[in-house]
Amino acid sequence: MGLLKQFSTLIDAMNWRLGQATAWLAIAMALLTVFVVILRYAFGIGAIAAQEGVIYMHSALFMLGASYTLLAEEHVRVDIFYSHFGPRAKAWVNVIGHVVFTLPLLLFIGFSSTNYVAESWRVLEGSPEPGGIHGVYLLKTLIPLMAALLALQAISTIIKGLAVLSSSEEQSHVRG
Amino acid sequence: MLGAELALAMFVTVCLLLMFGFPVALTLAGTALAFAAGGILLGVFDPDYLGALTGRIFGTMGNETLIAVPLFILMGVILERSKIAEDLLTNMARLFGSQPGGLGISVILVGALLAASTGIVGATVVTMGLLSLPSMLRAGYKPSLAAGTICATGTLGQIIPPSIALVLLGDIMSSAYQHAQLKMQVVNTATVSVGDLFAGALLPGVILILLYILYMIATALIKPENAPPAVAEPVNLSQLVSGLAPPLLLIALVLGSIIAGAATPTEAAGVGAVGAMFLARLRGQLNRAQLFDAAQATLKTTSMVFLILIGAAVFSLVFRGFGGDRLIENFFLDMSGGKHSALLVVMLGIFLLGFILDFIEITFVVVPIVAPILLAMGFDPIWLGIMIAVNLQTSFLTPPFGFALFYLRGVAGNQVATRDIYIGVIPYVAIQLFTLGLLWLLPDLVTWLPAQMGR
Repeated sequence: MGLLKQFSTLIDAMNWRLGQATAWLAIAMALLTVFVVILRYAFGIGAIAAQEGVIYMHSALFMLGASYTLLAEEHVRVDIFYSHFGPRAKAWVNVIGHVVFTLPLLLFIGFSSTNYVAESWRVLEGSPEPGGIHGVYLLKTLIPLMAALLALQAISTIIKGLAVLSSSEEQSHVRG
Repeated sequence: MLGAELALAMFVTVCLLLMFGFPVALTLAGTALAFAAGGILLGVFDPDYLGALTGRIFGTMGNETLIAVPLFILMGVILERSKIAEDLLTNMARLFGSQPGGLGISVILVGALLAASTGIVGATVVTMGLLSLPSMLRAGYKPSLAAGTICATGTLGQIIPPSIALVLLGDIMSSAYQHAQLKMQVVNTATVSVGDLFAGALLPGVILILLYILYMIATALIKPENAPPAVAEPVNLSQLVSGLAPPLLLIALVLGSIIAGAATPTEAAGVGAVGAMFLARLRGQLNRAQLFDAAQATLKTTSMVFLILIGAAVFSLVFRGFGGDRLIENFFLDMSGGKHSALLVVMLGIFLLGFILDFIEITFVVVPIVAPILLAMGFDPIWLGIMIAVNLQTSFLTPPFGFALFYLRGVAGNQVATRDIYIGVIPYVAIQLFTLGLLWLLPDLVTWLPAQMGR
């Protein structure tokens, strides 16, 4: 369990840092939007690259933020019953849920996006607009990247859940 | 027909599994994927349907309208945390507080303003619960009246523009409308935008606020002991105006530019977010740590919304793959009683689903299935969108499962009994139902303003 725990701590630390850094994109995209607005309404300039920059920041914000949000326990739950569960019951829900739902889903997204992304990389796909950012292949790469980061975070949650379940089992053995 | 049965079974299974409390987005997608795998094994599901998923996710990332979501969230978070609402409530309470029912009216007005600025039900109810519940109880308000008023005004965030719920609904309604028109073989297709929904929501929102206030006045007249005057305090009028004017101007600017069609929701939301930062900075409520905090909250809420969007995309692809959409369509076509009974069934279904699902899930899972069918029957898309929004707002307020009630229960501690919350919201639920009926009979209340905007 010791090695697994270390692995879980490592994943948590990585996603935590990534989330903290990514959050600044929210501020940056607001400022860039205002910049685009000023250019458009005050000077009549359409800044395609800046406009696409907002899309890139927006996409990165939630695609890279999904795993951090899982770590921070902010993905919404129907908590009518869950909020009354004890730590063991919560651990069961999360371990089973991630094994049955999350990991198969992310495996599917990861594998099914491979060709799509690879094709984009092969031609180094750029913006359809003239003057746009030449990085659509990077944007598309966010899809498998999101799947990988979220899968790692799910694995970390499973490890922590198993730790809760095994430790309280030990305790009940001691008491028994 | 095995496929269609599996589609229904999948829907019921998801509703049951959600009760375990595993994150909604992952439950939706995971269950759908498991059913798809079963369907493929049984030979009733075409795997090609799932192949469209990557393209759908990429489409979501580049969706021009949805970029407004994180920007509106950022604006709301900053306005909420800069304590503008707190100052407002204090000053408004001083202005009206010496009248019977006056404090209650202040709470309704501040709640409506806060709802307009944050657009998130949970945030508004929690903030109002922390701010106004103690002061209303201290002034001697009946606990049930205080609790009911706070819950009801908290749900206004759903309907009063610029609300995030309406942005999401606008995006779904516009593609549903395209779908319906294609089906009806309309040649010159019309569109519906987020701005249209904002314009359509304005009058119903004002009607709701006025009815809430009327109820408060009536209570103060009939049972003055339930809504007594608060201790009179000197009013600082200049402080009131200087507190009220900046956020009101900002919201009016953002909303006005969208409704008038001068700016896209994304542009307006961006300006609104930066404007909110500017206001907060002026009030000394925005240092580096506070800004970082707001950015974090925005990231988490945005990721939560978009993961649900992805989960709902998987769910609806599989639902379609099983032929579930045709099943629902046939159900409505076979139903006797015409389009109004079809709408009644949909509204009732959405109301009940509102007990277990949030606005986002219903918008992305249920609306794409039912809206094209209803629109093809000839309902106005703006009107239908607002009816769904008011309906959900009512659902969130209805005991025993309404979301707003849980949020208040969470922050109220032992100041009020759960019973008080349930009893207190009943008159407000009645007002909501009355308004729904009114909008049904007089659709112009919704469609008049958007039409004036030349759409």
